[in-house]
Amino acid sequence: MTRAIEWLFGSPPIAFARGEFDLLIPWTALFGAAAVAALLVWFGLGYRSAGGRARPVERLLLAGARAGVVTLALLCLLQPQLVLSVSVPQENVAAVLFDDSASMRIADAGDGSERRGDVLLDAFPVDATNDPDALGPRLEEKFVTRFFRFAGEAERVDSPRELSFGGARTDLAAALKRPLDELASLPLAGVVLLTDGAETVGGESGEALEEVLVELRAQGVRVFPVPLGSSGSGADVELGPPDLPARVLAGSLVEVRTRIRARGLAGRTARFEVLDEGRIVARETVRFDSDDEETSVAALASMDESGARRLRLRVAPLPGETTLQNNERTVLLLVEDRPAKLLYFEGQPRWELKFLRRAVEADEGLTVATLLRTAEGKFYRLGVSGPDELAGGFPDTREELFGYDAVILGSVEAAFFSQDQLNMLRDFVSQRGGGLLTLGGGRSYVEGGYRDTPIAEILPFTLGGEPNAVEATPERTPLRELRVSPTRAGASHPVVRLDPEPGQNADRYRGLPLLSSVNLTGSPKAGAITLLEGAGPDGASEPVLLFQRFGRGRVMSLTVQDLWLWQMDASVPVEDQTHETLWRRLLRWLAADAPRRVEAAVSSGRSLPGEPVRVRARVEDEHFLAVNSAEVEAVVTGPDGEFAPVRLSWTGERDGEYAGSFLPRVDGLHRIEVRAGGRDPETSEPLTAEAWAEAGAVDDEFFGAGTDRALLERIAGATGGAVFEPEDAADLVFDLSIAESGAAVVERRDLWNQPGVFLLFFGLLAVEWCGRWLRGMA
Amino acid sequence: MIAAATGNDRRAGGYDPFAGGPPATHDFYFTRAAYSGYGWRGWHVDYPKADRQFLIGLRRLTNLDSYAMENGVLLTDPDLGRYPFLYAVEVGYMQMTEPEVVALRRYLQQGGFLVVDDFWGTREWVNFAHEMGRVLPGHPIEDIPLDHPLFRSFYRMDEIVQVPNVGQGIRGGPTWERDGYVPTVRGIFDDERRLMVLINWNTDLGDAWEWAEDPRYPLTYSTYAYEMGINFIIYAMTH
Repeated sequence: MTRAIEWLFGSPPIAFARGEFDLLIPWTALFGAAAVAALLVWFGLGYRSAGGRARPVERLLLAGARAGVVTLALLCLLQPQLVLSVSVPQENVAAVLFDDSASMRIADAGDGSERRGDVLLDAFPVDATNDPDALGPRLEEKFVTRFFRFAGEAERVDSPRELSFGGARTDLAAALKRPLDELASLPLAGVVLLTDGAETVGGESGEALEEVLVELRAQGVRVFPVPLGSSGSGADVELGPPDLPARVLAGSLVEVRTRIRARGLAGRTARFEVLDEGRIVARETVRFDSDDEETSVAALASMDESGARRLRLRVAPLPGETTLQNNERTVLLLVEDRPAKLLYFEGQPRWELKFLRRAVEADEGLTVATLLRTAEGKFYRLGVSGPDELAGGFPDTREELFGYDAVILGSVEAAFFSQDQLNMLRDFVSQRGGGLLTLGGGRSYVEGGYRDTPIAEILPFTLGGEPNAVEATPERTPLRELRVSPTRAGASHPVVRLDPEPGQNADRYRGLPLLSSVNLTGSPKAGAITLLEGAGPDGASEPVLLFQRFGRGRVMSLTVQDLWLWQMDASVPVEDQTHETLWRRLLRWLAADAPRRVEAAVSSGRSLPGEPVRVRARVEDEHFLAVNSAEVEAVVTGPDGEFAPVRLSWTGERDGEYAGSFLPRVDGLHRIEVRAGGRDPETSEPLTAEAWAEAGAVDDEFFGAGTDRALLERIAGATGGAVFEPEDAADLVFDLSIAESGAAVVERRDLWNQPGVFLLFFGLLAVEWCGRWLRGMA
Repeated sequence: MIAAATGNDRRAGGYDPFAGGPPATHDFYFTRAAYSGYGWRGWHVDYPKADRQFLIGLRRLTNLDSYAMENGVLLTDPDLGRYPFLYAVEVGYMQMTEPEVVALRRYLQQGGFLVVDDFWGTREWVNFAHEMGRVLPGHPIEDIPLDHPLFRSFYRMDEIVQVPNVGQGIRGGPTWERDGYVPTVRGIFDDERRLMVLINWNTDLGDAWEWAEDPRYPLTYSTYAYEMGINFIIYAMTH
C-alpha cells in the first residue's frame, strides 16, 4: 500500500502526514472555487434536462463526475505542491542502536527460523552493492551514521560486524541515553533501534526509560524501532522464576516451586528436575493441556549437605522447541546445620510427648527443650541445654520465650497461663515470627478453655462448640476415631507428602491406623490451609492438620491426640518411619522460617561481573524489636578466599533495615557474613547472619524473551517516531529524513504531474462517458 | 505343667468387668502383661488389687490422666501396642510361647516399655534372662546406676530398697527370699541406648502397693514402692 501510494503520488504516506500542502498560484484559489461552484450548478441543470433513461440519482452522479474532471483540471492549473522539511544529505547524524544481548540468538525471526541477530545483520550488509536497498546502505546514503551496540550498557562500534550477541542484560533506557549524551553537539536526526525489546533489567528501569523518552522528545529526536523476532511462535517451554525459601535446615525436604509456560505443546508431557551438584534430587512430570498454558509445578528435594547449594532447575527439552536456553534456571539455597530450637510444653504426661521426642531425638537439625507438668506446680525438664533453661517453668519474659524458633503447646489448659503469657505467645508468632504448633488433647482448644483468648485469635480454625469448660474434663467431648488422609493441598506439601506418587501417597495414609480426637473443631479460617483431614464413622470429615500465617510467623494445629499410634500400633511395621518422618518434617517446617535477630539477604542471588551486589540486613534486639542504631558490617569472602569488609547503614526506609553494596572482583560464590554487634545470650558468639551471592554469567536473557512490540510502539509513539518491520526497515530512512531537528532544507514536490492525478482525471472521464452511453444520453 | 495365657484369663481369675477392653478415653492404662508360664505362680499374682491400689496413688500424686482400674492384656493381643507401658511379675516362671516372644519383641522395638517385678534368686533370674534372650537376642542386661534419670523423673531416689513380700513385711522377718539378698535394678537398652526393659530383681514392689492400706505393712516400703512406680511411669512416658 505504501509503495502504491508512493508510485501514484510521488511520495510515501508519511510525507503527506508530515508535509504541508501549498498552491503555487494561491491568489487564484478563490476564483477557482467560484468557478467550480458555477460549473456544478451548470452541469447539474444540464443533466436534469438531458434526455435518456437515467434515474435522478444517476444523473446526479454523472454531473458530479463531470464536475470532478473540471475541478481536477482547475486544481492542476493552480499547481498544488507538497512542502517538506528534509534533512540535508550527509549533514545530519543518524544513531543506530544494535541489540547485542544473548536473546538475539533466538531463532524465531525472518521466516520463523532465522536468528534475530542474523536478521539484524542482513539489514547492514558488508558490501552495500549486494543489497543497495537494505536499511544500512540507504541510511548511509542520506546520513552520517553512528553505530552503538547495547546490552546492559551501550557503547560505540564502528560496524555491526563487531556484535557478538552475548550480552547478559537488555537495558533499553541505558541504550537510548547513550547517543543523547555522546552526540549532543551534533545534528541528531533520529535513532534507529534494532532490538527484540525484551528487557531484562527490572525494577527501576521503567522510570529510567520514561525519563529518557521525555528527554528525547524534548530534543526532537525521534526513535524508529525495528522489532526483531516474534512474540510467540513455535513450540517452547519456559521455566519461571524459582520459588523456594532462602534457607532450610540440613536434612529437610524443601519444596521447589516454579511456573512453566508452554506454547504449542498441547497434550505433551515434560519432565521437571531439580539438580544439586549434578545429582537429581527431585523430579515431577507436567502435562500441558492447551497450546498456551502456564502451569505451576512443585517438587520436593531433600537437602542433606549444609552450605550454599547451587540448585539447577530444568525441564528436559522437548522435540521442536525454539529456545532451549529458557528450559533451565539456577538458584542458590542456603542449607544450615545450626539446629532449630523448639520449646515443647505439655500439661500432663502423655504418650504423644514420649514418641514425639523419640521421633526427633536423632535429628541434629532440631533441639526440643521439653517442659512437662507432672503434677500441680511440679515440672519435669527434658532436653534442656543447662540448669537455667526453663528453670522457672514456662517462660514469663519475652526475652526467654523469643529465644526459641518454635513452640509446641500440648494438652494444657488456658487457665494455666497468665494473660501476659498468652499475649506473649501471640506476639511470639506475630512479632517474633516464630512457629506455634498446638496439639489435640483433653485440655486443648475449646476443652482447654481457649475460646476468647489470644491463642484463639491466632489458631487456623475457629473454636466452636459450647462455652469454655471451667475445668478440663476429657469426657466432655466424645472421642471420635478418624481415618486420616491428605487433602489436595497436603498431597504436595513437604510436611505430609509421604510418597511422590499421589495414588501411592493416598494408599500410604489408608494403611495407617485410625487416630482419635477429643476436641471440638470448628471450620478452618479464611487463609488457613488444611493438609490432613479425618473422616469419622459417619463419613463426616474434619480438619486434622492445618496451618495459617499470622503476622511474621505461622500457626499449625493438630487436632488428634495420638499420632503416636502410627508408631506403636500392631499394624505398623517395626521398620516403618512414617511417624518419625512426619514429626521431623513438621517441626523443621515450623521452625525453619523463624527469623533470627540478624537477617541478611542480597538483592539478587546472581550478578554479572562488574555489577554491584546490594546487601540488606535486618537487625532486631532480644525482644525482636527493630534497631536503627546498630553498627552493622558485612564481611564478603570471595571464592579466592580474599575478604573485604562492607559497611551497612540504616536505609531510613524501614525500621531495622540496613544496606550496603560491594563489587565482586572475581566470578564465583561470595559468602556474605553480616555482623551486627551484640552477642548471642547462650553461646556468647557475635550475632551474625549469612547470605550468598554468585557473580558470573546469568541466563536471564532467554526468559520472557518474546519480542516486546508493545514497548517498542510506546517508545516510537512517545518520541514521534514509528515502528518499521524488518522487511520495510529501509523505508524508515525517508521518514527519518523528514526532519524535525538538525540541518534541513525545504523541498517542494509538485503534485499535479503525478500518475495518480492523471489516473483520477481519466477515471472520472471514463465514468461519465460510460454512464451516458449505458443510459442512452447524448 | 505349663499354663498358657489365654483370652479367658485376660483378667485375673476370669474377672472381666470391662468386657471389650477399657474405654479409650484416658492417656494412661496400667497394663499387666499376661504371659505363658509354668507352676502355680503366674502373671496374675497380686492382680488386680495391687494395680488398683497403685493407681489410686498414681492418680492422686500426679496429674496423669490414668484409667482407675487394672488392664491385663495378652502379649499376643493386637491392641498391645495401644498400651506402651507393661508391668510383669513372677517372671521367674515365665515360659513364653513363640508368638508371645515375637509380639513382645515387636512391642519393645516399636517403643513399648516393660517393667518387671517380684522375682527372686538365682534360679528365677536364670529363667527370666533366658526368656529375655529369646525376646531380645544380643541385648545384654545391665545394671542401672542411681544417677540414671529414671531415679529423678518424679521423686529423687537415692537408694535401692529391698521391698519384702507381705508376710515377711508384716512379720518384720528377713526381707529377702531364696538367695535373692541384694535388690537390683537392671535394664535392657536398644541400639540407641534407650531403656526398653526395667528389671526389679530381688524385690516386690507389687506387694507393697497391694498391702499399702494394711496398717501392719511398714509404711516405709509402701512409700518407696509408690515412689519407684511413679518414677517408672513418668520415665516411660518421657523417654
